[in-house]
Amino acid sequence: MRVTLSRTVRIALLLPLAGIATLVAQQGAPGLVTNQEILDGLKEDGSRWVTFGGNYANHRFSPLTQITPENVGRLKQQWTLQTNTLGNFETTTLVRDNVLYVTGPQNVAWAIDARSGRQIWRYRRELPATGLTACCGLVNRGFAALGDKLFMTTLDAHVLALDMKTGAVVWDATLEDYKTGYAATIAPIVVKDKVIVGVAGGEFGIRGFIDAYEANTGKRAWRFYTIPGPGEPGHNTWAGDSWKIGGSGVWVTGAYDPEQNLLFYGTGNPGPDYHSESREGDNLYSDSIVALDADTGKLKWYYQFTPHDVHDYDSTEVPILADLTINGRLRKTVMFANRNGFYYTLDRTDGKIIVAKPFVTTTWAKEIDAQGRPMLLPGHKPDEKGETTCPDLTGGTNFWPPSFDPRTRTFFVNAREACAIFYAYKPEYVPGQRFTGGAQQLINTRDQKPFGAIRAIDPTTGDRKWEFRMETPSRSGILTTASNLLFTGDSEGNLVVLDSRNGKLLFTYQMGANLHGTSPVTYMLDGRQQILVPAGTSLTAWALPDVPRSTAQ
Amino acid sequence: MPSTKIVSVATLIWLLGVAVATGQTQGGNPHTGNEAAIKAGMALFRFRCADCHGMDAKGVRGPDLTQIWASGRTDEGLFGTVRNGVSGTEMPAVDPRTSDDEVWKILAYLRTLAAPTLTDQVAGNADNGERVFRAQCAGCHRVKGRGGRLGPDLSRVGNARTRPMLVRRIRGAVEDSLSGYEPVTITTKNGQTIQGVKKNEDLTSVQIMDTRERIQGYLRSDVRNVENPTKSAMPAFGPDRLSESDLNDVLSYLSTLKGFDPSAPK
Repeated sequence: MRVTLSRTVRIALLLPLAGIATLVAQQGAPGLVTNQEILDGLKEDGSRWVTFGGNYANHRFSPLTQITPENVGRLKQQWTLQTNTLGNFETTTLVRDNVLYVTGPQNVAWAIDARSGRQIWRYRRELPATGLTACCGLVNRGFAALGDKLFMTTLDAHVLALDMKTGAVVWDATLEDYKTGYAATIAPIVVKDKVIVGVAGGEFGIRGFIDAYEANTGKRAWRFYTIPGPGEPGHNTWAGDSWKIGGSGVWVTGAYDPEQNLLFYGTGNPGPDYHSESREGDNLYSDSIVALDADTGKLKWYYQFTPHDVHDYDSTEVPILADLTINGRLRKTVMFANRNGFYYTLDRTDGKIIVAKPFVTTTWAKEIDAQGRPMLLPGHKPDEKGETTCPDLTGGTNFWPPSFDPRTRTFFVNAREACAIFYAYKPEYVPGQRFTGGAQQLINTRDQKPFGAIRAIDPTTGDRKWEFRMETPSRSGILTTASNLLFTGDSEGNLVVLDSRNGKLLFTYQMGANLHGTSPVTYMLDGRQQILVPAGTSLTAWALPDVPRSTAQ
Repeated sequence: MPSTKIVSVATLIWLLGVAVATGQTQGGNPHTGNEAAIKAGMALFRFRCADCHGMDAKGVRGPDLTQIWASGRTDEGLFGTVRNGVSGTEMPAVDPRTSDDEVWKILAYLRTLAAPTLTDQVAGNADNGERVFRAQCAGCHRVKGRGGRLGPDLSRVGNARTRPMLVRRIRGAVEDSLSGYEPVTITTKNGQTIQGVKKNEDLTSVQIMDTRERIQGYLRSDVRNVENPTKSAMPAFGPDRLSESDLNDVLSYLSTLKGFDPSAPK
């Protein structure tokens, strides 16, 4: 039976709801996730974390100050969630209205009660039994949110909208056919009414792209191919038909500048990864940062970090935006610590180089010239005999997010010092099969052991402010807070907390598995600041035990 | 300094071993020891596997494959892993166009990296070798449930190490240590020193087996110093301590050690 309410009754019912919505809007409590919330980033009230990097600029910097260098040693676990799957967390958890929205390995996802760690709903995608082509882990890097929907990408190269209240699939859009090498692990971001995603598959001969989908319907709004097609500028940087299978995937989340309405995304390696002769030319826009109009996907500018890369130096690191005074001038910048070993500060209005300096041992290029082109050093083209280059293929850093403290204008990166022997041979392209044309051998001897370091970089010069050395390279991202804390992980399974002013070690806890490819997030819950730590297949919430809970709200 | 002459003699003996062994098969792999098949397997490995497992098969994105036989995996089991992949991980089933025969070739090649296959048919006296081993080595090395624990258990060494590797190790030509057997010296706050081998470590702690075989973890904050001497805990057995003939016998004995089945009747 259909019940029709009178207009008066409907208004009467809606009014109190609207009142509540207004009351709690500032606290990010019930109701819909708004564009304004995403634009606002992380607020002092700590009530939410609704986009990948905390804010569109990807700072991963929280204004919360309840946990300090003085009391961090008293942190205590509140609960632990286990995925009960293979694989590991690589996700940035979203937080809103005391509920956590978490994606896990194998495309399982949850809504979790932040107070107890108990599941509210669980979603599991039925993945194809065979033929998935995710190269390097069946992972997922997190949700985006808008309205009453969550958005996630899948290992079989789809993008889904889930109902935030139930986990039910609202729409399901296909990026490309996973059987031909496409996969997706990226955390989407929402800009206005669109969901922005990219595809992985740089080791499988794909042609990469960045897509925008209508958040309401799942209809594709635009696509930007990271490899230009015939007739487009840059197409001639690929010899012959190599552009069709040239890789250049997009598997790590970019940044958004509302003022310019520009998206900034890093792009992946050209394919085949190591075999130079298979794809002569600069291979645009592989290993680049591209600035796209968020409404249309049109290219505003690009900068290619590694022209004609032969070492698998994907530029899929997380870009960070900030306005910085450099040589007395306020510059709109995008900061980028690249897998190729160089740290860059670019002008984000035109992509011009401001700073480019190695942040790890780098042997393939001497420096970056004034035009932004690397000055190559001889002897670094892989062949069947092998050649030694630093950094190794995993790079000076990689997909694990860096952090930026806007108060001290410091860029924090989890760096790796490692070298490798790279080999190359001519590969044969078969759709859906690996297409890398080579391999590496890590150099790991008693006299030359890879190691890791958290490094604080001054983005106005590229100079190092401090470092915290780690015996082995780690793959953890970084979270910083306004109380001078830096949260990260080492390669031995420790949660590591440093003083962000000087790199001094303040606190460790053995989690039993590594923080891999992601960082903790932080938020307020009932008056207590929480640190949520993903490690292996577990997610653990921490807080100070001696701060009384306040559930008044 | 170890004599190059000794090494050359050892190499020669090893080469003889290879010659004797060529053409033999072992386990279920029809290509084990077949030079042409191994070469083909190497090419296949480089194309299909090295990208994840490394050119040296010691692991990059995927795991180290050089110790898989030593860890007890069988030819048949590994064939299944390559053919079918590992469900729920990024290890794919091998390209369907790759024939079973080619999979066996890949495994035959890997086996040459992993271990001596059949190279140790040397004319030593294994019985005397065992006696020498018991007297000189068993203080630190366990075989089939007997012996010390400070060094690696050698019950499977006949499947895990080539003869030249063993010669270099015994004669002291290699100074680095296997992970889990690196020497360590801990100085406690009251000045006492504890020597042993390092089982594990991280930022805040170190786990060791001391020379009395006590396994124990120490927090770095509880001790004065943790030192990592670079010299292997394994002493060098030069010709003065172990004659060429005894070395040969010991190697002969070690080559018989192919595994330990703890459930076998005593």
